[in-house]
Amino acid sequence: MSAPAPDRSAAPPRGPLRPFHFAEVHRRTLPNGLAVLAAEVRNFPIVTVDVVLDAGGLAEPAERTGLAAFAAGLLESGAAGRDAAEIAERVDDLGISLDSGVSWDTAQCGFTCLRSRLEPGFELLADLVRHPAFPEGEVERVREERLSSVVQRRGTPSSAADEAANRWIFSPDTLFARPLAGMLRTLQGVGRAEVAAFHAARYRPDAATLVAAGDASVDEIVALAERWLGDWEGGAGALAPPAVRPRAEGTTVVLLDRPGAVQSEIRVGHVGIERTAPDFFAVTVMNTILGGAFTSRLNMNLRERLGYTYGASTTFAARRQPGPFSMSAAVQTEATAHAVSETLRELRGMQEAEVAPAELDDARNYLAGVFPLGLQTTDGVSGKLSTIATYGLPDDYYQHYRERLLAVTAADVLAAARARLWPDRAVVVVGGDAARLRGELEALEIGPVVVMDPDELES
Amino acid sequence: MQIPIERFELANGLRVVLSEDHTNPVVGVNLWYNVGSRNELPGRTGLAHLFEHMMFQGSQHVPETGHIAHVERVGGSLNGSTWLDRTNFYDTVPSDRLELVLWLESDRLGCFLPALTREKLDNQRDVVKNERRQRVDNAPYGDWDERLQAMLFPPDHPYHHPVIGSMEDLDAASLDDVADFFRTYYAPNNAVLTLCGDFDPAEARRLVERWFGPIPRGPAVPPLPGRPVLEPFKLGREVRHTSRGGVPLPRVYLAWRVPVYGSPDYYAADVASELLAAGKSSRLYRRLVRERRVARSVAAFLLPVVTGSSAFIVRGNGDAGDTAELERALLDEVERLAAELPGPAEMERAITGLEARHLFELQKVNERADQISMLTTYFDAPELISTELDRYRAVTAEDVRRVAAEYLTADNRAVLTYLPGADVAAPAEAA
Repeated sequence: MSAPAPDRSAAPPRGPLRPFHFAEVHRRTLPNGLAVLAAEVRNFPIVTVDVVLDAGGLAEPAERTGLAAFAAGLLESGAAGRDAAEIAERVDDLGISLDSGVSWDTAQCGFTCLRSRLEPGFELLADLVRHPAFPEGEVERVREERLSSVVQRRGTPSSAADEAANRWIFSPDTLFARPLAGMLRTLQGVGRAEVAAFHAARYRPDAATLVAAGDASVDEIVALAERWLGDWEGGAGALAPPAVRPRAEGTTVVLLDRPGAVQSEIRVGHVGIERTAPDFFAVTVMNTILGGAFTSRLNMNLRERLGYTYGASTTFAARRQPGPFSMSAAVQTEATAHAVSETLRELRGMQEAEVAPAELDDARNYLAGVFPLGLQTTDGVSGKLSTIATYGLPDDYYQHYRERLLAVTAADVLAAARARLWPDRAVVVVGGDAARLRGELEALEIGPVVVMDPDELES
Repeated sequence: MQIPIERFELANGLRVVLSEDHTNPVVGVNLWYNVGSRNELPGRTGLAHLFEHMMFQGSQHVPETGHIAHVERVGGSLNGSTWLDRTNFYDTVPSDRLELVLWLESDRLGCFLPALTREKLDNQRDVVKNERRQRVDNAPYGDWDERLQAMLFPPDHPYHHPVIGSMEDLDAASLDDVADFFRTYYAPNNAVLTLCGDFDPAEARRLVERWFGPIPRGPAVPPLPGRPVLEPFKLGREVRHTSRGGVPLPRVYLAWRVPVYGSPDYYAADVASELLAAGKSSRLYRRLVRERRVARSVAAFLLPVVTGSSAFIVRGNGDAGDTAELERALLDEVERLAAELPGPAEMERAITGLEARHLFELQKVNERADQISMLTTYFDAPELISTELDRYRAVTAEDVRRVAAEYLTADNRAVLTYLPGADVAAPAEAA
């Protein structure tokens, strides 16, 4: 039944469009102050539940960097009469996927489960969040594990470059200058008492939101929250917003020395935006054009034109306070200096003139189109509920998300580029072979070149 | 959970599977070509993967990088990947753009050669060499898989060499090599197309026939090079290699030849890997990480591959100190599998975990489409996406013990150790 060849000369027309709607978000607040955000997602018999707590990296003292992550990681080490092995057996008997961790803004503990295991999952989650035991032996073991991962991180070119970039983007008195997972010296001294005190102070219902998405009704979720978290007591209070300051007024090149490296891990970064910035959508579209998609200017230049790298990208990590903007690419050693100058040229290019109408359309449509792709899973939807909770966004925020992206204009993009990209005061981190690279990086004349040993990340 | 399956075959041999789901207005389009690094000839390692890159460089009616630009500008995501047995390409787009993707995918299958140029090849050769540097040469432990492949499989076996290829072979790949590779392997009769998501099946079938139907059938695919059948099946001895320097912490990999994906013993071995390292209640995590503290983390998994042999792999990440103790501790647990029957609660737990994770993964149309393409390419059985779990449920405790005793033995084992320190690598022992 071979048909005649179709006309291939142009892309075929689009078919009938079915609208996409973000699931309706329901909010309740329990008498103890715990907020509940729930959305029904009914296609699979799966539910994701997360407790989102105001107990992230910003809640820890600077000399205890890593404490928040340490505390979250220890929740499953013993709670409410069960030891770590018993909790692990319970989790695996139920087939639930349990996860706890931190961002700078929050700690999260939660799980994804089959609908039939929702109630026992909830019970376990409540135990972990409310009654962790932090047994001495596990505190010591997990601390050793975390110290190992610091060594691992610094011995890995990509993650060492990330750590160095944050350290040079932010002023030393800014928490973001440090690694969220901790340093050797800030983790070494942490004991059980400190972890327990952190938990007692920050894991409280008035500083928590329960988010749930999946095959369960809002009433079911609220009833479970009332049953297992309704008598949770105490107050954490709000945290004072920390100061966020850039480290340098001009460009500095930091050469993180790795003798013999066949590639250079490049980061070009500076202070970026907060999640609630009024130009968040303009910055998002601008970043997509610069380095946020495969067909972005930067990737098309460094990868598809020059062949220097497997991929180059840019991101704005938007937090409650302005997080970092960073370009990231691993390039062959001999192309390092040129890749740096091309990156700075692309940043400046965004500031010189409005983007072309087609480029703007493509970026907006890309972002609007991929938005639903991330919402096929219960944890994709619950992640959006966490974002609403963490940044105090309106409950109907994601119902209007695509419209707001599509409303961004070329003038908005230009204004965002001019305000939010700082090519003349960026930190350039190059993780690579200093002996081979120092001269050519100095020859760029973009700023002083500082050579740093990866061990100095600890100082 | 029953995943809907509708299948048909075009006159040119393209196998097509449709799986309808209107939950979200998105559609996943997924193509598996039955060609991977196993098909590469000596001196041309990495060609299958380099070719995959060239498939994104335009075809007769689609300009250079136009495929990616078309998909991104309508709000889709896409990629491709190359592995030992196969190469896949996948696009997830808003469902009103289904036909656009069928146009793009059929153009690079039906009209690839006219757009092939030396400049594009040289550019992607550079990109792939940087991919190799990033993932292998400049990454701690980045060569673990190519080392294990070389240790487990003899030089004339199709799995002996790495998917990414060697720098020398990448340099040697010519325009003719790329064109020949296309003519040999990229044909509708050597591919599976799966559509999963929001479409009308009758309309989707009409569109598939419109765009793929006119592409001519290709010649019969040549047999695999080398000797894919391992005789004897087992390695015959223990093969060891120690790599010193370039890593921050010690690490031990153990690997054994086990029967291929799809065979009954594969499923039994996979259950064994679940008992060893799935979740924090697993044997290796509990004993080595939590109790004895000789490992910082552990993993155990099988390669779902179908040519001659699969591999059962166990990994233990250490800290300072002696990897001999870590290796012994890993082996103790593996040997215990062969000596004692696992209990019913533990067996039940393994199945519960497999079942739950399978369902969590299937939520995404692109994941569902990829699994359907895989099951159709390897076994001509897309419905296994709903029934494969029965094969796991059929595994008995005695099956696990027997398979462990038969295959996870000292004379069928590769041991790869990474140690921090002086940058001197001992030469690999030949397998």
